[in-house]
Amino acid sequence: MRNSRFKSNQKTTRALTIEAIKANDEGVLKLLYTSNYPKVEVFVLQNNGTKDHAKDIYQEAFLAVWRNIKEDKFIPKDDSSIHGYLYTIAKHKWLDFLRSKKYKKTVYESELVGFKEPKMHVHPSTQDHEFEKKLKRAMTAFEGLGEPCKSLLKAFYFDKKSMKDIADELNIDPASAKNKKYRCMQRLRELAQNLNLK
Amino acid sequence: MNQNNDISPEEFELIESYLLNTMTDSEKETFESKLSTDETLREKVEDYRALLKAIESQSLKEKLDAFHDESIEQTDVVALDDNFSSSTSWYKTYGIAASLIVFIGLASLWYFNQPSASEKLYNDYFSPDPGLPTLMSNSNENFEFYDAMVTYKQGDYDSAITKWNTLLEAKPQNDTLNYFIGVAKMANKEVEEAIKHLEVVTESDTNSFKNEAHYYLGLAYLQIDNIELAKKNLNFSSIDNSKALLSELND
Repeated sequence: MRNSRFKSNQKTTRALTIEAIKANDEGVLKLLYTSNYPKVEVFVLQNNGTKDHAKDIYQEAFLAVWRNIKEDKFIPKDDSSIHGYLYTIAKHKWLDFLRSKKYKKTVYESELVGFKEPKMHVHPSTQDHEFEKKLKRAMTAFEGLGEPCKSLLKAFYFDKKSMKDIADELNIDPASAKNKKYRCMQRLRELAQNLNLK
Repeated sequence: MNQNNDISPEEFELIESYLLNTMTDSEKETFESKLSTDETLREKVEDYRALLKAIESQSLKEKLDAFHDESIEQTDVVALDDNFSSSTSWYKTYGIAASLIVFIGLASLWYFNQPSASEKLYNDYFSPDPGLPTLMSNSNENFEFYDAMVTYKQGDYDSAITKWNTLLEAKPQNDTLNYFIGVAKMANKEVEEAIKHLEVVTESDTNSFKNEAHYYLGLAYLQIDNIELAKKNLNFSSIDNSKALLSELND
């Protein structure tokens, strides 16, 4: 049953994959992550990078792709267009990095052929820039948020668990779980705002 | 600036259901009309939007490291670990699915790129020579040449070719004429014809157009899928595009 999504007809497959990505389905995200990494590593290693570079750039690209799919900024035609998109974004990010390090002369921009390139939304417009900064600080705040707040917020907002399931796991009633979530969000917001001031 | 820290559970719930898109249409309408007038509320919504995104992004980021450590750094650890025997089949299922997807992905890439790889390169690189500046001189001979050049620059390659061909009858080995007729024929997609003219240029004793002629010959051979001759000609040309194209062909 689990792999039925890969056998069924194209349209269903695509819908399921996109829905699964939007729902942060761990199996699908992991599959997407692991199946595309090797190609990116090869590309980075061939272009003056190390394995650590490859990992960093790939994760950055992966997050961007995931976000663009969630926000319908990239609407993949099928699975292979997701793979192509991920690879292209990773490539672009690495080339941007190389350019910033003045590796420019060894890398031709025109090497980037081979894909019909989807619209790029990698670079936030200046208008989005403020929001990006805010997001970065909020991520840092969440990274350092203490338990049990971190797990609770993650279970609800990332794993998309219901408040009832979360309450059951914590052995509390749904009303207190909801109240806890409210207080944890308050805490997170304060943390992020304190980062703002620094 | 953000001294709007006081937010009631009710207000939080409202903002949250707005951001998670769980409002009914009428609730949403009411909320949005309030948003349009209430700047403090707008700020709060933006704060929470960033927070929700941050929770998801950071959670995924932390997951990616786990994916990486589990599957890429130590590919075989999962299979060896008995404690995870129940999840082993899970990994296998996904492993097979993963390789299938990679295979299908690569196969379709191959399939779609194969027939059009040289064509794509050709289209990326080919643009007709911008032509010579048409300073009208009084010389009759030059007038006909530059008259054709004007039509060439207007993209009317047929007329330009006809006019130049008349001049070519008198001077069949002229490198300028052969060069521009060649390029015009390429622009007109008469590649085989173009090659004949361009080869007169590359075999002539004068050097004015040799560099460019080799480049266009490289493109012409690429267009008819003769990669060997394409590379050979590009090698003779020192212009930037030749080098770039050559490096793509050698990839």
